[in-house]
Amino acid sequence: MMQRIDLAPLLRETVATPYSDLVTRSTGAALRCRIEATISSAPHRTTLLDFTAVGLMDFSCADEVVAKLLLRVAGEEEHYVLLAGVSENHVEAIGQVLERHGLSVAALALGEGLPRLLGCTSPDLAVAFQAIQRVGAGDAKRLADHLGWTVERAADALQSLALRRLIQAAGGTFRPLPLPALP
Amino acid sequence: MRVIELPPSLEDRTLDQVAAGLGGWPPEPFLLNAHGTTWASPYGLVALLTLGQALAEAKLPRARFAVPESAEAKSYWSRMGFFHWAAEYFDLVGSVRKKAFDNPSDVLLPITPIRAFDDVTNVVGTIQERAQRILSSEINLAPQATVRFVMTLSEVCQNIVEHAGTGGWVAVQTYFWKKRLGRKVVSIAVSDAGIGFRRSLESQASKFGDRWGDGVALEMALMHNVSRYRDPGRGQGLYHIRHYLSRWQGKISVRSGTARITIIPPWDDDQSLAEQLPFFPGSQVQITIPAQEGGDTQ
Repeated sequence: MMQRIDLAPLLRETVATPYSDLVTRSTGAALRCRIEATISSAPHRTTLLDFTAVGLMDFSCADEVVAKLLLRVAGEEEHYVLLAGVSENHVEAIGQVLERHGLSVAALALGEGLPRLLGCTSPDLAVAFQAIQRVGAGDAKRLADHLGWTVERAADALQSLALRRLIQAAGGTFRPLPLPALP
Repeated sequence: MRVIELPPSLEDRTLDQVAAGLGGWPPEPFLLNAHGTTWASPYGLVALLTLGQALAEAKLPRARFAVPESAEAKSYWSRMGFFHWAAEYFDLVGSVRKKAFDNPSDVLLPITPIRAFDDVTNVVGTIQERAQRILSSEINLAPQATVRFVMTLSEVCQNIVEHAGTGGWVAVQTYFWKKRLGRKVVSIAVSDAGIGFRRSLESQASKFGDRWGDGVALEMALMHNVSRYRDPGRGQGLYHIRHYLSRWQGKISVRSGTARITIIPPWDDDQSLAEQLPFFPGSQVQITIPAQEGGDTQ
């Protein structure tokens, strides 16, 4: 089960503003507190943060909302965060602050059907992440066959993706994060 | 009473003449004479307001301010909202229109006080549509670059709220910079009357011993992303601003106390670090982005 949190309405509930921009560290911190409370109140293992209808996002707010949220959920057992509805502006702000923290997140950009990786990554992680979105669940051998890699190389990449909560791992198999149903 | 003559053209570099005229801090009572001033950049105007604000916050006597003789200068300063705010801090000498203009067509963002995070949110919310239109048509910036411009504005304004310990001012304007560049530019000017970079980063002082001062503090903040907060996410604002400006041949200059640090683009010949300047209260930031090649340069 996936929990969906629409950020634009939550922003308006959190701070009295006529705007839909996610700007300032103070706004970001207040919004993250609301997101954390919402996550805590539900049993879901995966949270989808929906940026649709969010306007501009600055770096300080991206740091508070996304980077600090990921740091917080990293301390919880098996909780996954996926972003959706992100614009190019959001991609830039989020990607850069996550790189600074050594974090990464899967994000569905507006109009795209498969998620992309934002933040800290490597060529192997990026390739493996994209491949598993297309190939679907499987083990290291399946990914290795698909990419023409050694099994060890594929296993290393999958293990890193799983540790970063970018894919789900269970009993030697791996699967992409569940995606929201298309409207 | 001491008389401090404002230069004919008041901008980031000539502000040093005004600082020298103060003769140290706190200054003796003085009159700022802008009678012969024919032009001022947004930086010059917000810095003057900072001076007035610093006097008020230090409970020093109000300074007198003789307004420019030039009708053109008076008109522009009025449109920027300068006299509206200056009347709070100075005894104005001469006739001017003090009421701020509502949304003048040639001003991207009139002088706006920044005292809280909400002020930053409002600045970002109100400037976006206008910035998209003016920066793409006059400075030839791509749409994504105009978004980054507003993000830059947001970060630099937040620094006032987070670090200054008091309020400040922001203004944004495009103008034709004939003298130095021969092109149109967009300029963000931010100034606050706060504690300055040296005091904000005082926890770093022991690492530098006798070298510690305004110049080193500016270097730490602008070149090494050091913040007074230990949170690893802090100190990113100026880093991202530098990164953005390098893409668009932009220039950033930060003055604090007795030093000024500048990231110099190819079109400029400024000094990268100027120290032992005459003291000016607070901190001032100037960001300049020139019209891009192929754009409207008139």
